Amino acid sequence: MLWSRQTGLTVDIRGPVPSERGPVDRIITEEAAINASADADLRVTMLVEEDELVAQGAPILKLRHHPEIMQVAPMAGRVAAIDLAPGRRLSEIRLFREDDVGRRQYAPDRAHRDDAALRSLLMQTAQWLAFRSRPFGRPPVPEETPAAIFVLGLDTKPLAPNPIVAVRGREEDVARGVAQLLRLTPGPVYLCQGGAAGEGFAGVAPHDRICRVRAAPIHPWGLPGFLVHRHHPATLSRPVWDIHLEDVAAIGALLESGLVPETRLVSVAGSAATEARLVQCQPGADLRGLCHGRVRHGPHVVLSGSPLEGCMARWLGMRDRQVTILDAVRDDRRDHWLLSALKRASRQCPIIPTAAIEHALGGALPAVAMLRALAVGDRETATRLGALSLIGEDLTLADYVTCAEPRHSVLLHRMLQEIAMEEAA
Amino acid sequence: MIRGIWDRETVALLLLCAMLPIAVTWLLAEGWGGAARLVLVTLCIGIWQLVWMLVRAQPPSVAGLVTSLAIVILAPESLSALQLVLGVSLGIVFGELAFGGWGRNILNPATVTLAFLGFGFPAAPWADLPIQLGWAAIPAALFAAWFGVASWRLLLGAGLVFAAAAYVDSGVLELWLAVLVVLVLLVADPVASASTPVGGWVNGAVYAGLVVLFHATWQGSADVQMAISAALLVSIAVPLVDEIVISLWVARRRRSLD
Repeated sequence: MLWSRQTGLTVDIRGPVPSERGPVDRIITEEAAINASADADLRVTMLVEEDELVAQGAPILKLRHHPEIMQVAPMAGRVAAIDLAPGRRLSEIRLFREDDVGRRQYAPDRAHRDDAALRSLLMQTAQWLAFRSRPFGRPPVPEETPAAIFVLGLDTKPLAPNPIVAVRGREEDVARGVAQLLRLTPGPVYLCQGGAAGEGFAGVAPHDRICRVRAAPIHPWGLPGFLVHRHHPATLSRPVWDIHLEDVAAIGALLESGLVPETRLVSVAGSAATEARLVQCQPGADLRGLCHGRVRHGPHVVLSGSPLEGCMARWLGMRDRQVTILDAVRDDRRDHWLLSALKRASRQCPIIPTAAIEHALGGALPAVAMLRALAVGDRETATRLGALSLIGEDLTLADYVTCAEPRHSVLLHRMLQEIAMEEAA
Repeated sequence: MIRGIWDRETVALLLLCAMLPIAVTWLLAEGWGGAARLVLVTLCIGIWQLVWMLVRAQPPSVAGLVTSLAIVILAPESLSALQLVLGVSLGIVFGELAFGGWGRNILNPATVTLAFLGFGFPAAPWADLPIQLGWAAIPAALFAAWFGVASWRLLLGAGLVFAAAAYVDSGVLELWLAVLVVLVLLVADPVASASTPVGGWVNGAVYAGLVVLFHATWQGSADVQMAISAALLVSIAVPLVDEIVISLWVARRRRSLD
């Protein structure tokens, strides 16, 4: 009765929609890069030097504060450039493709027997970074034990590729991956799916700690935040992890073959695309390579991520599975001087409670109360309503609907950072 | 990256569109006298918004038109222009602008204005609404509910309670016109009404319940007066209702998830 119905909104994006049935091309772009935004504050220690050859899956850097966690090369190649910001913060590491170098093979034997070895294998092969820990939405620290793990077998972001397509024919890998997840947590593992029962998780044997969850296949219910909020809210003492179904299959494959998967399923679509398609490409792929020849004439922008939360980029983000090509809106008109003065001087317009806002938060929580708490920075109320289970990404639909400035996703992100800093102190 | 359209002014414009049937019907019934009063009140609200824009950098809102429409339709008759301007100024400044403009207010400024006019000038007789206004309010309510700018739960809650009361005591039915028009113009305002789904039901039900209570106990009062008083009281109670609903939800969640 009270916020238990799952509602949502369908965001219509003009342009072609990727077909799930069509062939999936495999594209390894000539260049790729590992990058991090400035506010991610990722301090790293490099393990390779410029102009060095690296095998696919070989570690190229480790995190400064958690040296156990490494990032690996997305493809076999030559390190073209290493850009570090002051304080050895990762900015960008570019690679040129060199197929001859081959792939790095790890020995997964010990990881099968020993839980600590499993963790260290995941950290060495960067599969650890596929997890996201809530509260705060960061990669988990090495010693963290989650209270639950959510496996997302659906993705409702507009134009997103269906995870079921990504793991089609890989039931064994998924089952093996889920078995490893059970070793990482003493708590439940939630398998979330949108469609028919068992889809995508057909090979997973029943287990008393495996809970199958059906979510409404409508945005925002394909975002882990809302499922975590509903089934197993994250708290400071009980962190909850989420992971994409394809990454679970990747862990399963790693444990079998010792190889880090080369590609992930990515959709390339948007209103300025002539043709939408699904491709298999390496993480950090060159977006221009993926879009080449499939963009309408005229000004356009290429986003890494969905149309709702994506940002303009040159490279595919480390967690992104979507490339969106949109028409560039050129806003050359200048406001009247009084209007622009008013815009600068005034407080931002408040949001008006409407049914659209209720839907934008999926009917999962008191939407207006939550957005108001964020707008005024009321941490206590936001936490009481479930902000610790959410991250900025979960509020992008509300931002889209309300057109609010500053964005609620940014406000939530900042609030979580403040809470995290206080907790760390 | 892409942005939607449901910002404050879109909602205000939709509300205004929803109120158009009421506005047209009322202007046809009242003629030029009504139109002149509407212009006067709109002008007064506009000037105050302008003052607050220049002094406090508070952007004006189209919602002022909805407010002025509600005021002229429901205000007591035979008020002089000065009395009207005084009431409107008080209502719009203390009901809305002092809180930070439309969207940050707690009470509907039209409700505040009408309450002030009613209690401040008790000699003026309350308006007699033309019957066709009631029929125009129905499409207005449907339009607002369809676009989600008014809570359908609130409208339905009020309707159900009123129907139940009419079933018990058919004398209540004589109030339907005032109850419906005030419901659409004042109570269903998205800013001053409940923001939680259950709160919407309660909000509507309490409004209708209060009107029925006034009808039974308040001798010698006009229909519109009873409806406006109920609207004022219910909008004062609404933040509390929302708070209770949210606390219940938090408590129930804690129980079921721990």
